[in-house]
Amino acid sequence: MNITNIVHIIGFALILIGFWGMLTQKNMIKIILGLAIVEVGVQLVMVAFGFIEGRTAPILDSAVELSKASELIVDPVPQALVLTAIVIGVAVNALMLTFVIRLYQKKRSLSINDYKDLKW
Amino acid sequence: MVNPIYIIAILLGLGFLLPSLNKTGIKVTGTIFFLGILAVSVISFQWLAAFAFDGQELKMIFTAGFEPPMSINLQMGLNEAVIISLINFGALLGAIYSFRYFAENGVQALVVFLLFILGMNGLVLTRDIFNIFVFLEITSIATYILIGMDLRLKSLSAGFKYMIAGGIATVFLLLGIILIYSKTGTLNLDGMIAAVSIAGSSQILFVGVFILIFSVLIELKVFPANGWALDVYEGSDTGISAMISATSATALLFVLYKVLPLASMDLTQIIVLIGVLTFVVSNLFAIKQKSTNRLLGYSSIGQIGLLIFVIASKDVLGANFEKIFFGLLISHFLAKAGLFWLSGIVKAEKIKGWVKIKKNPILIFAFGTFIFALMGFPPFPSLAAKWSLVMILAENGSFLWISLILIASLLEVLYLLRWFGYIIKLEDSEEKVEKSNHQLVPIYVVTVLLYVAGFYLTRSFDAGLTINFIPLALVGILFLIDFLPAYVKNTLVLAAISYYGYNLVPELDTLKMIFALIFLVGGILTFIPGYSVKGKRIGFYPVAVMMYVGLVGLIEATTFFEFFFAWELMTVGSYFLILRGKRSMPHALSYILFSAGGAYLILFGFALSGAETGSVLLTSLSDVHIYATVVFILLALGFMTKTASVGLHIWLPGAHAEAESDVSPMVSAVLLKAGVFGLIILFIAMRNNDVSNLFYILGWVGAITALLGNIIASFQEDAKKLLAYSSIAQLGYILFALALMTNVGWLGAIWYSINHFLYKALLFLAVGAIVMKLKTHNMYEMGGLIKKMPMSFISVMIGIIALSGVPPLSGFGGKWLLYNAFILKGWYFQGAIIAFSGVVAFLYLWKLIYSIFLGPIKDKHRKMTEVSVWYLIPQYLIIGILMFIAMKPRMILEKVGISLKEYLPEDTVTWNGNAASTFADGKLFGVWDPFYIMIIVMVLFGTLLAFLLVASRKATKVKMFNVVYSAERPESPQTTHFSYNMFSHYRKAMGFLALPLVSNFWDFITDLFHSTSDFFRKFYNGSAQSYIVHIISFVVFFYFILNGGIF
Repeated sequence: MNITNIVHIIGFALILIGFWGMLTQKNMIKIILGLAIVEVGVQLVMVAFGFIEGRTAPILDSAVELSKASELIVDPVPQALVLTAIVIGVAVNALMLTFVIRLYQKKRSLSINDYKDLKW
Repeated sequence: MVNPIYIIAILLGLGFLLPSLNKTGIKVTGTIFFLGILAVSVISFQWLAAFAFDGQELKMIFTAGFEPPMSINLQMGLNEAVIISLINFGALLGAIYSFRYFAENGVQALVVFLLFILGMNGLVLTRDIFNIFVFLEITSIATYILIGMDLRLKSLSAGFKYMIAGGIATVFLLLGIILIYSKTGTLNLDGMIAAVSIAGSSQILFVGVFILIFSVLIELKVFPANGWALDVYEGSDTGISAMISATSATALLFVLYKVLPLASMDLTQIIVLIGVLTFVVSNLFAIKQKSTNRLLGYSSIGQIGLLIFVIASKDVLGANFEKIFFGLLISHFLAKAGLFWLSGIVKAEKIKGWVKIKKNPILIFAFGTFIFALMGFPPFPSLAAKWSLVMILAENGSFLWISLILIASLLEVLYLLRWFGYIIKLEDSEEKVEKSNHQLVPIYVVTVLLYVAGFYLTRSFDAGLTINFIPLALVGILFLIDFLPAYVKNTLVLAAISYYGYNLVPELDTLKMIFALIFLVGGILTFIPGYSVKGKRIGFYPVAVMMYVGLVGLIEATTFFEFFFAWELMTVGSYFLILRGKRSMPHALSYILFSAGGAYLILFGFALSGAETGSVLLTSLSDVHIYATVVFILLALGFMTKTASVGLHIWLPGAHAEAESDVSPMVSAVLLKAGVFGLIILFIAMRNNDVSNLFYILGWVGAITALLGNIIASFQEDAKKLLAYSSIAQLGYILFALALMTNVGWLGAIWYSINHFLYKALLFLAVGAIVMKLKTHNMYEMGGLIKKMPMSFISVMIGIIALSGVPPLSGFGGKWLLYNAFILKGWYFQGAIIAFSGVVAFLYLWKLIYSIFLGPIKDKHRKMTEVSVWYLIPQYLIIGILMFIAMKPRMILEKVGISLKEYLPEDTVTWNGNAASTFADGKLFGVWDPFYIMIIVMVLFGTLLAFLLVASRKATKVKMFNVVYSAERPESPQTTHFSYNMFSHYRKAMGFLALPLVSNFWDFITDLFHSTSDFFRKFYNGSAQSYIVHIISFVVFFYFILNGGIF
């Protein structure tokens, strides 16, 4: 089993764990953490798709000879994507936490079950 | 041409600039904010104009000086230009509407709104899949903030649910992107599409495309992964809901449109299914909904579902795809934004609370515009779009989709017009609507735009090119001059009808001329009483004229679409007319439901016919063979909703009885003939298409309708209801006569149509005027009015003589023709029923004249005077016409008979002087000479009258509480109340025929829908975790369906 497969497995496992957390936990902060774990899993999966065995990071410095760069480094696109995804993920998670704070201020409860007024 | 990259640059730049200008105050930042949105709107309109008028070609914009895949590229084509113009203009209006909301939250709110617009523009323009992700997140984050900004519990919890759902959608989107990238090696959409078509069926690619598209579907709020979305619509500030429903949904629909080429055929089919399902289920759930914004949310999701269906059917729809898509999208966009904005002004949590706007005709007008645009009634773009959609689906044999779409549309009609009925009819509330101009302007703008779009988009369809919008302009003008006094408008309308009729009628063939005369003369006669109304009579004239415009349009129509357009126009106009009555709310609703249902059947019928023959002409119905039976049934049922044949009649009694006094004759004497006209067109076209069994069945339906109508009429206490049931029966005669399909039978049908028009108008005018004056409908509260209202008495007397069919008046001619016809045809059983029901009719006619005019007068009516002269004038005009045609029927019938020979050569009538005769097997069969009959009856009547005058000299005067039979000479008074429950003895014998079985059946159907709706909508239980389960199981379920190879 090579490293790509291991990372894939870990990534998908994290996604499942995250979903499990989102579905079973009643505490809204834990639900957000669940989502964060899912996101980490997705990010791992993404990086693993761009990884090529035996190559180095896609950073053009002294370690990589410029003319042979395309043969020495791994695919840089997924890494760029992951960076963007992480940034956006953090922003969304932060925003979610502020919502939870505001909700807590209104109802003094963190349980998701207390916020079912809108329905049907 | 300004490079569209500047749209992004301007919005982003201002987003950074505004916070630094915070100290300058909201006036400066607000101005810059609006200038920014205005600038991007102008840029998008500029592109739109270039594409629309200058033949601009599709333009690719490469960022950073590289071509893809090295850089991200934007694409600007006609579709993109339309979409971003809509979005930016909508956002501009939304910003104007919500500015106060933004200002309360400081400059940050302005920045967030700019980012929101930026995200949507990016979603539309970019051709890079990862860029779609980024712009989607920008839009979403901005939306979350806009929702939660006001810090109310509702909006915060809705926003939280939205974030959870959005977070899951994002995860799917990222997974989809990376999976597709791993197989295609590019993020550029065009590159991907090319690579996918080469790569073929790799499992990873399949999964990638699947979850990519499903994440877009989740963002589009499809059923069942949309519980959170309903909470968002309900919980958010209405200005934000308007934006989510209109602008961001539009952007996301376009994303779906862009990524769809990646999908396989199977996946596309699944999306079609999901779209229809969403449309049906949302509208079903909506019918139990009482909360305003949630109702709008359901409606919104339903409309988006239909649009998803249209996008996924793109290949099927072919060249018409863009027109259909934009026709539906623009209607939804403008109407839904308008409705949410209106909701923000009304501030009523429950839809019943909207009665607040009752006193604001302009707001009611806007509301009406929005809901009729949503439902797809003329003149709005959604009508032509839905029409074309159904036509093309029929060509492809997608009958299941058509049925589902039409059923869902009917549910939509139910909940939207029930709501409209509440506004017009519920008890006025004390609360006032707080209006501010900056919130009203966007509403007015979208209202006007809907009409403009309706005109241009309807005409963009081939079918719509021939629609005559000039009479509609008259309706529009009447709306504009509604502030004038009633008599001015009345005169104007009478002049317009006379002028139009003068130009139109001579051009028509005989059959159409008869109906044109019924509609136009009917129009003139029923508008004359309008002079008796003082004040403005707000809202009456535009809708009444709309009905007449529709009726005349039916006559002029040559294509299916012209006919359907006119039919719907007439339906809408008459609905508004009926709704004007005091207690007419439920009746108007049931009227419009039957009418809309009937219209959808007609639409389906036309679509099938068009699918088989490829023609759009009404006459092409004669070429239908494969679908002949189905088309005939659909169309006949559709028209029979208007003629109120038994089973489809339950709307009529209430609608006619509760209408205003001069509206009753409009919707009874005149409107019902539209159904007859439709049947005539249908029967003529399809007479040779092997549907003779169906004619036989319709004959029975007609006969039974006649019998039941007359029996139930006899048991009525309400004078107008009595007349209404009588109309049902009379239309039964007409249907029976038409179904005979012989020359003499049709002469009878035409003759009945003309006469029913005349005497029913006469009776409704006379009785309506009395009812209005006495302020009661109940006949047992009337009585003895013969001396107070002698002119009305003569009217009713003539009316019932004509209706009953006794000589000498014209009703007799109808009976003579009908009896000849069914005997010659050999339909003895049905004929016997018809003849028997003619006898039953005497019961209620006697009751009518006796209870109102004879017997003792009620004490409170002692000072009663004759009804308004404006009601008497049309009555006596009608009496004149009735007398004339009773003496000279040949003038009309001979011409009709000759024109009918072309279609129906059997059993003709021969004329000799005034006399008509029929022949059976070459031998003389029946003779009718109206002139001699008139003379004989006059002589007999004169003799009897003279005898009675001599013989009754000793009769005593009847006093209060003394009840006598009218023809009796009472020696001692009786003191029972005879008029109430007059025919109780017959009721014992025939009452079982008057049981409300049909009403019970339809009640059962509506209950079924309501309880289904109420049961299943509990599915959206408000818990964010349930929504997660919905989303995940939605994706997993369809994944297994696709992989299981069911499709």
